[in-house]
Amino acid sequence: MATKRRNLYLYLTLICFFGIIAIFIVDGYMGIYDTVYITAEEREQKIESDIWQRNSPYWSIGVTQGEKAFIRYEVDNRQFSSYEADIQVSVWRMQEKVSDVLAQQVTIEAFSKAEIEWTIDSAELVPPDAQPEQRLDYTLTIKSGEMERNIILYINPTPSSAIKLVPAPPR
Amino acid sequence: MNIRLEYVLFVFGILFCLAGVGYLAAEYVKNLSEAGKLVSLLLTVAMFAFLSKYFENIGW
Repeated sequence: MATKRRNLYLYLTLICFFGIIAIFIVDGYMGIYDTVYITAEEREQKIESDIWQRNSPYWSIGVTQGEKAFIRYEVDNRQFSSYEADIQVSVWRMQEKVSDVLAQQVTIEAFSKAEIEWTIDSAELVPPDAQPEQRLDYTLTIKSGEMERNIILYINPTPSSAIKLVPAPPR
Repeated sequence: MNIRLEYVLFVFGILFCLAGVGYLAAEYVKNLSEAGKLVSLLLTVAMFAFLSKYFENIGW
């Protein structure tokens, strides 16, 4: 009887351990995960899907006026079924859509990945009457099925226009 | 002091096992939902409680 009772605690320990492992597999690994890679100003930033859950649903990047941002969007389907989604990318400013960048339907097989690439040309976003030293903020919205990712796009002035030359005072 | 080689190997095995589980936990805990984190925490507490009880019963 005592041995049975002793082993009961060991079995309960094992049940708890395998329960934790099962939660990590089902809840932590399985699912749809998206990652955004942005290359701008000679730097690559990686925005993983857990960042959206943890912090504010916004991430920001800076692009110098006249330069381009190269964006790669990766969707990882860690499910036993295939995943279909309409991916829509657009640029917004002050709650108004500035441009549609991309609209594409993707089908990803079980435990596979898909990648979509596009480029944001800051020259196309900046209004013609904008001053070269002006900084403009836009929102890049990526909709993939039910997921929505918002990235704040800072279009920074070109370094030469940002530095104002002040003439030396006369002696 | 005469430590048997088997015990040294057991300790290494246990350490490697803990390191592996720790690495996997750190890698995937960020993707867990709030409910998943809570249930995992409760199961971890229960696991250590049952393990302590088991060791107590075998006379450790």
